[in-house]
Amino acid sequence: MLRSVLRHGLTGVLLTSLIANAQARELDTAFGKVEVPDSPARVVTLYEGALDASVAAGITPIGAVATRGGNEVATYMSEHIDTRQLEMVGVARETNIEAVLRLQPDLILATPQLPEEQYRLLSRIAPTVVPESNGMSRERWKAESRLYGQALGKEAEVDEALESVEQRAAELNQRLSEAQVGGTAYLARWMPAGPMVMSTELFATGVLASTGISVEDERLVKEGSAHSDILSLENLSMIDGDWLFLATLNDEGQQALDAAEQSSAFTRLNVVQQGHVVPVNGQVWSSASGPLAAQAILDDIEKALLP
Amino acid sequence: MKVFARAQRLNQRTLLLCLLTALVAVSLVSLLVGAGNVSPSQALSMLLGGEDSEAYFVVWELRAPRTLMGIAVGMALGVSGALLQAVARNPLAEPGLLGVSAGAAFAVALALVLGASAATLRISVAQLGALIGCLCVLGVARWRGVGNDPIRLVLAGAAFSALLGAMTSLMLLFDQRSSDEVRFWVIGSLAGRRLEDLLAVLPSAVVCSVLIALIARPLSALALGERMASGLGHHPQLIRALVVLCVALLVGAATAIAGPIIFVGLVVPFIARAFAGPDIRRTLWFCLPIGPLIILAADIISRVVVAPSELPLGVLTALCGAPVLIAAVRARRLPTL
Repeated sequence: MLRSVLRHGLTGVLLTSLIANAQARELDTAFGKVEVPDSPARVVTLYEGALDASVAAGITPIGAVATRGGNEVATYMSEHIDTRQLEMVGVARETNIEAVLRLQPDLILATPQLPEEQYRLLSRIAPTVVPESNGMSRERWKAESRLYGQALGKEAEVDEALESVEQRAAELNQRLSEAQVGGTAYLARWMPAGPMVMSTELFATGVLASTGISVEDERLVKEGSAHSDILSLENLSMIDGDWLFLATLNDEGQQALDAAEQSSAFTRLNVVQQGHVVPVNGQVWSSASGPLAAQAILDDIEKALLP
Repeated sequence: MKVFARAQRLNQRTLLLCLLTALVAVSLVSLLVGAGNVSPSQALSMLLGGEDSEAYFVVWELRAPRTLMGIAVGMALGVSGALLQAVARNPLAEPGLLGVSAGAAFAVALALVLGASAATLRISVAQLGALIGCLCVLGVARWRGVGNDPIRLVLAGAAFSALLGAMTSLMLLFDQRSSDEVRFWVIGSLAGRRLEDLLAVLPSAVVCSVLIALIARPLSALALGERMASGLGHHPQLIRALVVLCVALLVGAATAIAGPIIFVGLVVPFIARAFAGPDIRRTLWFCLPIGPLIILAADIISRVVVAPSELPLGVLTALCGAPVLIAAVRARRLPTL
């Protein structure tokens, strides 16, 4: 009896270690090669794009960071998972490393901007995957999502999610051109003194451009910066295109519009008088990235431009 | 001797007139110059009767309100600086430097975080904050060992401002929702403010003018010392209380309009005293044109240097005011008030 238990146990241990060895995978990350477990079960995401990609791949992390300007993850996430399961381990700009440690993760997915000292600490807790940061570009989020997919062992799922975004954008592009809707568009955030124009090299402006709309920033945005300085009210005509997407970090996109409409310099713009101002949620449009956020943005575009 | 005094007074009238003319000129420049496409010549030809709807809009709807508000804020800050310096008997006392503006901004931030947004509420809230700030400052000034040393008072004020600033930041950390609106506030700017904001502070301006007219004489008597003032039939405690009320109303209103703007309250009475001599009554008259002159000049620069964007006004006054403070402290010729 004892012998058979021992024998089975031993074979079991041998077998699992054999499988683990055979299937431990290596990834190329910003901090060199990182070995990740075969099927991570306790994943912590320290970046909104990583959370989005994980959920798109069918894996609900156990910990995540709050969205910018909020105390929870972005609200669009709750359409896909029960966000109450997620333990908050910090805010977008600052991780609470002790909170991460307490969760005992077996995989950490972090932002491309992660500082090296933080990486060193985190990688002692669990394998930490940090995508290469190659400056800002519209397409960067796709490579990031793929890397997170590889880390999770869910490459196929992420690829599928990305493909469906591309298909949907192409389809929307066609429907918009059939309806003869299009032209130029700006994405801005309204501050009490005026608007900040968002860069054309962001995730959201990239998704917007993929539907065939020509997104502009009037070269107001310095290279490597996400948005311009606050534009003087005297220069509002610079963002008077065919469409103006107005983002706010609050839940209520309407609030940005309300604030803007207190300014007569804003209400006299053509784009305002035509009713072509689209209030959008900055949690999705200016903070998030990933396939699910892209779908949410495409939803917004479809609703606003093809009523 | 009498003749000399009369000549000097005449001279001061001329000076005051010159300053007023300069103020009119700077106001005109403020209407003509901006960050946008409307050039000074376009604006001028519109003002002379040309029909240019773009220029009309920019000049009357954007530049005129902020010019008016710049004038109001400059007067309020200059006068309250002079009053605070007189009552603290300290030439470095300044509402911005001593945390009165920080108190007002803190109160506004608190109200915004608690969910307030009505413009009218903001002014009374800012004035209440300024009042509490003012009382704290003067409490510090009466503290033993601080009251007689201008520099220690400024240090105490800086500590108080920093404390309030930290508390404001802490509040915003817990409530990121309001942080954008408050962050704008904490710097100070005239852009995007509406004329209604100015109308809303009009009552307090009237109240202050009346109060100041009433207390100017006793206040200058107070400069002779508390006993002398009492001997002349004034009530030092009452005068101080009224001055504190005025400073709080003025600084609160200015902060409600433009956010906390520091150093203006320091620099303006400084220049005014150079023209008017130590008497608070004449200093106050000179503060009226000098304050707006400085604010408008700073605001015009703020629009031009980084066009098509604008620099916040508070940054510029701090940039220009800090050297004046350093020079004033280094000169070691601080007149005692």
